[in-house]
Amino acid sequence: MPRPGFVLDVDRSTPPILTWHGDGFRLLRLPADRSRVIYAPEPEPGLGDPDEEIRRALLEPLGDSAPLPALLRSGMRLTIAFDDISLPLPPMRRPDNRQRVVEAVLDAAAAAGVDDVVLIAALALHRRMTEAELRHALGDRVYDAFAPHGRLLQHDAEDPDGLVHLGQTDLGEDVEINRRAAESDLIVYVNINLVSMDGGHKSVATGLSSYRSLRHHHNVRTMRHSRSFMDQHRSELHSSNWRMGRLIAASGVKVFQIETTLNNDAFPPGLGFLQKREWEWTARDRAAYLATVGAIRAGSDRINRSVFQAVKAPYAMTGVVAGEVEAVHAATTATVYRQQLVHVEGQTDVALFGLPHVSPYNVNSIMNPILVMCMGLGYLFNLYRGRPIVREGGVAILSHPTPWAFHPVHHPSYIDFFEEVLAETTDPIEIEKNYEERFATDEWYRHLYRTGHAYHGVHPFYMWYWGAHALEHLGRVIVVGGDPAAVRRLGFSPATTLDDALEIASDVVGRHPSISHFHCPPIMMADVT
Amino acid sequence: MRALRLERSLPRFAAARLASGWNGRAGADLGPVRLVEVAAPELPGPGWHRVRPHLAGICGSDLATIAGRSSRWFEPIVSFPFVPGHEVVGTDDTGRRVVLQPVLGCVARGIDPPCAACGAGSANHCAHLAAGHLRPGLQTGFCADTGGGWSEELVAHESQLHAVPEGWSDQAAVLVEPVACAVHGALAAPECDPALAVVIGAGTLGLGAIAALSRFRPDVELVLAVAKHPHQRRLALELGARAVVEPGELRRAVRRRTGSWMLDNGQLTGGAPLVVDCAGTAASLADALAVTAPGGTLVLLGMAGTTTLDLTTLWQREVRLQGSYAYGPEPLAGGRHSFELAFELVEHAGLERLVSATYPLGRYAEAVAHAADAGRRGAVKVVFDPRRRPGRPRPEGSP
Amino acid sequence: MRARLPTPAERSGSAAPRRRLPVTPAGTGSRLPVTPAGLRSWLSLPSGFPFVAPTRPTTLPVPPAESSLGVHYDTSWARRYPARLARATLTELVARPAVAALTSPRVEGLDRVAHLQGPVIFAANHSSHVDTPLVVSVLPERWRHQLVVASAADYFFDSHLKAAGFALLLNAVPIERHRVDRGSARRLTELIEGGWSLLIYPEGGRSPDGWGQPHQRGPAWLAERTGRPVVPLHLAGTRRILPRHSFLPRPGRSEVHFGRPLWPGAGGARELAVRIEAAIAALADEQATDWWSATRRAATGTTPPLTGPGGAGEWRRAWALGPTASGAGRWRAPDVARRSSRAWPGADVARRDERAWPGADVARRDERAADRPSPS
Repeated sequence: MPRPGFVLDVDRSTPPILTWHGDGFRLLRLPADRSRVIYAPEPEPGLGDPDEEIRRALLEPLGDSAPLPALLRSGMRLTIAFDDISLPLPPMRRPDNRQRVVEAVLDAAAAAGVDDVVLIAALALHRRMTEAELRHALGDRVYDAFAPHGRLLQHDAEDPDGLVHLGQTDLGEDVEINRRAAESDLIVYVNINLVSMDGGHKSVATGLSSYRSLRHHHNVRTMRHSRSFMDQHRSELHSSNWRMGRLIAASGVKVFQIETTLNNDAFPPGLGFLQKREWEWTARDRAAYLATVGAIRAGSDRINRSVFQAVKAPYAMTGVVAGEVEAVHAATTATVYRQQLVHVEGQTDVALFGLPHVSPYNVNSIMNPILVMCMGLGYLFNLYRGRPIVREGGVAILSHPTPWAFHPVHHPSYIDFFEEVLAETTDPIEIEKNYEERFATDEWYRHLYRTGHAYHGVHPFYMWYWGAHALEHLGRVIVVGGDPAAVRRLGFSPATTLDDALEIASDVVGRHPSISHFHCPPIMMADVT
Repeated sequence: MRALRLERSLPRFAAARLASGWNGRAGADLGPVRLVEVAAPELPGPGWHRVRPHLAGICGSDLATIAGRSSRWFEPIVSFPFVPGHEVVGTDDTGRRVVLQPVLGCVARGIDPPCAACGAGSANHCAHLAAGHLRPGLQTGFCADTGGGWSEELVAHESQLHAVPEGWSDQAAVLVEPVACAVHGALAAPECDPALAVVIGAGTLGLGAIAALSRFRPDVELVLAVAKHPHQRRLALELGARAVVEPGELRRAVRRRTGSWMLDNGQLTGGAPLVVDCAGTAASLADALAVTAPGGTLVLLGMAGTTTLDLTTLWQREVRLQGSYAYGPEPLAGGRHSFELAFELVEHAGLERLVSATYPLGRYAEAVAHAADAGRRGAVKVVFDPRRRPGRPRPEGSP
Repeated sequence: MRARLPTPAERSGSAAPRRRLPVTPAGTGSRLPVTPAGLRSWLSLPSGFPFVAPTRPTTLPVPPAESSLGVHYDTSWARRYPARLARATLTELVARPAVAALTSPRVEGLDRVAHLQGPVIFAANHSSHVDTPLVVSVLPERWRHQLVVASAADYFFDSHLKAAGFALLLNAVPIERHRVDRGSARRLTELIEGGWSLLIYPEGGRSPDGWGQPHQRGPAWLAERTGRPVVPLHLAGTRRILPRHSFLPRPGRSEVHFGRPLWPGAGGARELAVRIEAAIAALADEQATDWWSATRRAATGTTPPLTGPGGAGEWRRAWALGPTASGAGRWRAPDVARRSSRAWPGADVARRDERAWPGADVARRDERAADRPSPS
């Protein structure tokens, strides 16, 4: 029986607490009697027979939907869209949830005699996936059956012929999605719901849409009114997506949504200490920790990065539901909350976030400074329901090496965003007003996005908007152990150690602030009252 | 009189060359410059004046000479021993405050009729730098007969002297000469489509070129500067640059502003039609060439010597490589002389703030080290005040 | 001024980080660590954890022990061949000569078990740490190297070193002695069914005062479950060789009496437990007197209980037992020394009768034993 998450009050007998630090970790001793550590619940057991559960979900859909076999008929156009490389984190061991589900759907389609089937990676403005990544997500059987015939596509948000404008919502939001998907008789969307932000109408309305559509919710105003964007009921991001999703449904586009959830068993046994509470580390855990840290210390940045990027999570599927989007997502969200919610009482002056080696946008890539900002102030800060774990005007301390390094193939526009835009201003409003349009329409970025493996030109802006709520909420952001030049460029304060960081924070929160350490990994969500 | 004199001493040049690679101060200590007590230079003839310098700047070419890094090209057109210093403001024997225009062309050399270039007013192209009644020397400050700014007295021909307007500080006046060089460089390239100009380097020349481009080149829409140090960034923006980037960011910055693509090896499909390289190193030249648009002009304002450069871009993209030296009439500015434009620019852009520190002659080693390290030490122009006796250096202007 | 402006030709977009924050003390960068302190500073780690075990926050409740020690210690390695070989070698070459020299054992009743094959449960009284080596060294060879010893989980398995040592040397397996533990019962069952014989002390521990303690029902329950017989053993003299709370054994004489195998019958574990306790008491009686006297008293239910004078004060129990160390002369030790005077059985019986205590009968003790929880 997995233990639930809990909040540890730090006292003098508390051992140093493990903190992620990019491609590595640190053990930080937190000030006694005014610090607390938020621990995630332990991993739930996975489904005994996932394939059987998937078939059951397809046959017993939720909400106003017929079972999948009843929706399939010979001669129809079927489009199967699936989540891209950004999920889950770290990538899971084979077989991936997507492979299991897609195979089950294809079995049903084959039984119904459907010939016109296309698979589309719903990557919105993310980079296109490589063959290896597609094979990992879908499995070799699916890849070899579809890719050679041009039936395994990746969504192209810049293809003028590949998009269709379905109309505007009541609030004037353009809805433009993938033409093939929109003109299909049925879209089956295969999702992995790693965090509560994922899924629902966001799957199609965001994953298969274009810049023209995305700009209505991927903007500073929306993100500042999403508190948090992990809590769909208080998220303007989701409200907008839901409006769009309803418009898509009203336009006659039929979506059969399949959502899967994972437990939080994110690391293989060799790195098991990452998920354990420090005082429960056995001698073997300690030895593994020392060996790992020693290997990291001895290795070069490049080697460490490739080793960490090669980590595959032993995630287990904890749930799968299918059917009508909103009903499905309600069930999924409940499952995600069951695994991830930790009850936390009250806010503190300081929140400490250890940032991992991977964010949704640097799988098999480099976590550049903008992604550091997005991971810390976008994702981790927003993993709350109710109130942020740090009070308004408080300080967030991020732990990450923040190297001044970019993946030139994956993140070309990030480099320019960092060098040009952030050199001028870090204010999201200013950035949005003065620069977004130019980056979004840059021919070169467009070319790299469509033909290479580059994120869209406007993507770094979204990363910055993701942290807009935190930037507005916080009094100061400090990065421990980061490259000072890169950290300053982000508009944050660099610090060498946690003590230095608390010293820097003292002119905002005083000399004896209360501190919350968000003990991530694994992923969790603070339910703050 | 006291003067800093440079003598022809091979061991000293060699020592300076070795030591300056290690640190500027050691280069100055071991180098060929000595503070000596010498007789004031003789007046070479009629039309010459004695000038007592108030301030005399330390220029990049002076540093190169002291450090033993000058090109051997200069050997026949300088004469040893000479007193360096060609950026000079001083008082002449008629009591006027004057700025020196140091080029020693036919007129100063008493050659009549002058060569074609001098006849056209472009003394910088003079054919007689080693002829006439003076010993060889391309400028005052490189000639054994005229003395130079780094002393208490020099001689100058009437044609070399420009009166300083009333109300000007010495700091402003001493900048006229280098700014005139920058103006000349900024105006050296032919008119281009309204577009982007890139200035690499943000020392005195670079900042002057930025200011000149902004003021005298209406065809240039946007100046992008490359600077390494915070005070340089700030000054570049103040003087008219629209954006300032670090050297490593230049290619991307040009790509963004010109809407071109960057191919796999980092080359751009487009570029800036006008690039002014005020650094003159192999790296800056490579960058400059890489960001010059096909058919564009690369002005070499920095003093490059022997260097290695892939010239494929030059011919494949028909890039013009345009040298720039000293000053002359500027066709792009209606034929006005660079010096005249420089006076206007110094006053208009408030360039006197570029003078960062003033040293007495006696502390020349410190001054040279300071100038050699100006960027890193937050300085732009370091000058001597030959009238002062050793004491504390007096920081002036900003920063 | 024409200042130089060295432009690093670094291409923008290169993946290499340009600057690194020096987070380690200068000078530790490339040197490989050779000392623990060096390793620590090389890894930028604080002292203590993780080089030592972590402390536990006092704000947390102490969790139920869930360790690999105590009853959860996995001894299976000690029954694999490398360990068995090592143990057999030590037993034959070291332990048996040493035990023989130390305890001069006299073994009686082996004929009662001569016909017995297969795994057996040996149930003995227990007063000294010498008991186990003594039994192991006198057991017939067919059981000696195929024997596990049920040992107190809380005593022998409280640290990894002790646990490993006893598992290796004695083939000890942990057993919960004061409460029911299905896990250890199941393990012992599996072992017996797997052909291992078991030495178990039904009293659950060494006698605190020299007198026996009430029996637990564990051996009976195991016999019931496995259908294997219990062989009662009575050990005498070991308390004088190495009493409780002493560390240095004194050489002396000892006796081991094998009883008749007791097979589980229709009465179940409860009835078998009574029989085991009675059988050991009868063996003690036989050792103190003679077989026949003991048999008769057993038949009439008047065998003196091993638990000593019930209800009597501390001093009287000690008094009745006599001194542990010889040399005082006035008192004979209760077992071996006493036996030496058996040349006059009548006198001996009379003396014992003097020392008899009122109300000590087997039935009452049975009730007491039954009140205790037993592994069933």
